[in-house]
Amino acid sequence: MTVTLDSIRSCFEGIVPSVIATCAADGTPNVAYLSQVHFVDHEHVALSFQFFNKTRENVLANPYATVQVIAPETAAHYRLALRYLRTETEGPLFEKMKAKLAGIASHTGMSKVFRLQGADVYRVQAVDCVFGRESTGPVPRPSMLAGMRACSRRLSACTELAGLLDETLVCLETLFGIRHSMLLMLDESGERLFTVASRGYPESGVGSEIRLGEGVIGVAARERTPIRIGHMAREYLYGQAVRQSFQDGAMAPDLEIEIPLPGLPESRSQVAVPLLIGQRLLGVLYVESPQGLRFTYEDEDMLVILAERLAMAIHLIGQHTEAHDEAASGIAPKASVSGAPAVIRHYAADHSVFVDDDYLIKGVAGAIFWKLLGDSTGGQRAEFSNRELRLDPSLRLPDIGDNLEARLILLQRRLAERCQFLRIVKTGRGRFRLQIDRPVRLIETPAGERR
Amino acid sequence: MPHEPGNMNNDAPLLDAALADFIQHHVSINVATRDAANRPTLTRALGCRVSPDRRRVTLFISVPRSEELLRDLRANGTIAVVFSRPTTHQTIQLKAGDAAIVALEDGDRALMAAYGASFVEEIRQIGYRDPFASAMVSALDEDAVGVVFTPTAAFVQTPGPAAGQPLRS
Repeated sequence: MTVTLDSIRSCFEGIVPSVIATCAADGTPNVAYLSQVHFVDHEHVALSFQFFNKTRENVLANPYATVQVIAPETAAHYRLALRYLRTETEGPLFEKMKAKLAGIASHTGMSKVFRLQGADVYRVQAVDCVFGRESTGPVPRPSMLAGMRACSRRLSACTELAGLLDETLVCLETLFGIRHSMLLMLDESGERLFTVASRGYPESGVGSEIRLGEGVIGVAARERTPIRIGHMAREYLYGQAVRQSFQDGAMAPDLEIEIPLPGLPESRSQVAVPLLIGQRLLGVLYVESPQGLRFTYEDEDMLVILAERLAMAIHLIGQHTEAHDEAASGIAPKASVSGAPAVIRHYAADHSVFVDDDYLIKGVAGAIFWKLLGDSTGGQRAEFSNRELRLDPSLRLPDIGDNLEARLILLQRRLAERCQFLRIVKTGRGRFRLQIDRPVRLIETPAGERR
Repeated sequence: MPHEPGNMNNDAPLLDAALADFIQHHVSINVATRDAANRPTLTRALGCRVSPDRRRVTLFISVPRSEELLRDLRANGTIAVVFSRPTTHQTIQLKAGDAAIVALEDGDRALMAAYGASFVEEIRQIGYRDPFASAMVSALDEDAVGVVFTPTAAFVQTPGPAAGQPLRS
């Protein structure tokens, strides 16, 4: 019986060990266990190259191999007739397998032994079902298609970025049972991601950052490829990665402005999916679970489709608001201000802003905040428009529509969490004002001076 | 490199008593052969019997599930067999050039049934439950043959630093 590779993907979850037969040039067969058979697409699989062993020696001399995989639901055995094509030592496939292997190695206490040297890519020439009294049906799960349909409809109803981001994470929980999630956006440098929304954590972590290439999230962003791992991979625990980067010498001065990334202390399943418009990276959707092997190929499919849907929605909202934002007009009623003055410091070097010595925000969002504060307390202005901020040469915003919105969401949420006497209040489409409920004293520190 | 028979003490069989016992129960057994174009295939075996002098091993093989493998063996006798115990990961591979298909002998069906029970018990210990565990040996009641061979090389394949080494040096 011939079957398609797509239909037996559960065989590649690594739940039941796989076996490979190869043959030396002199005709001596060899049979060995495999640590990982990675599903690449409907006609390719990849095997991890960790050690130079007999299997590898054989396929380099004679490219034919047969792999036996077993379905974890039914114990059905499948034989895959393979032909070795090439070895990849970098790029999305390599990084994905490296992350997965790190998970397996960590799970089995073999982190030091398992190191991926390459991803050996094979063409699948035939798939045959060989064993199997298919004694059990597939385990029932919530229908992904039905969930995706409901989710898509709910995202279509969102007209603003903030609502769209939150609704996405609500859908993950209510429609797919994924309770821990976050969304990160790429910052203006193109080197870091910052958290704009999260769900299922004690602290929101909004404003926390991760560099491209760091942890599951950073690697997914840098390689522009989804990464899914099923066990806790210590090497990839993003929290540690972030901490490490802050601890190394060059970054040390920034420790005081670190916002901890949200995350589960004992994360055993993780998926990070890049948000892409073509090859342009907008951010990353990340989900995790304390349960091992929580996310299947089906979940990954669903998350990739959702990420594409979300990226397109973010892009469209950005374009739409740019075209339809109204200009600010009039002067808002003067707010009643009382209490002791708060000291707000701005450091021009990195636009970091501290309220009564507590770090609030930095970067583009910090620069926007400082401009809003200056203009608001100057007396004449109380209302602002997205359009004027976008065109303001002093802010030097990147020429990308969705960026300003994400910064304003970040600012709004940081204020809501850290500084309740300052609020951003929407006054119309693309218009808002800064509500100030306490007197403030603004202190500027020029770019030449450090904190 | 594999042991050549000439390098070994001709008086001692390759399998000592402990290894002969190891390969006959609780282990997962997978068998590889190759055709004239050196294309390999493989199948799961349903237990094995070791001769009293420990020089010959007879694997029990399902006929309907091993067509290519049996075709290869009728054309050439080269074979590789891996035995692995799921609870301990202890793994060895045997190789031979003289494998031949033979009919089952009296008592072989009983050996297959005992092997199947031991293997199911083994994988239940590491968390596989029924119906999965029994389905792993669902070929036991199918048409079967013996594949007899004289091991000429043995390799340690337990994960770790010694993996791939000849069993004895």
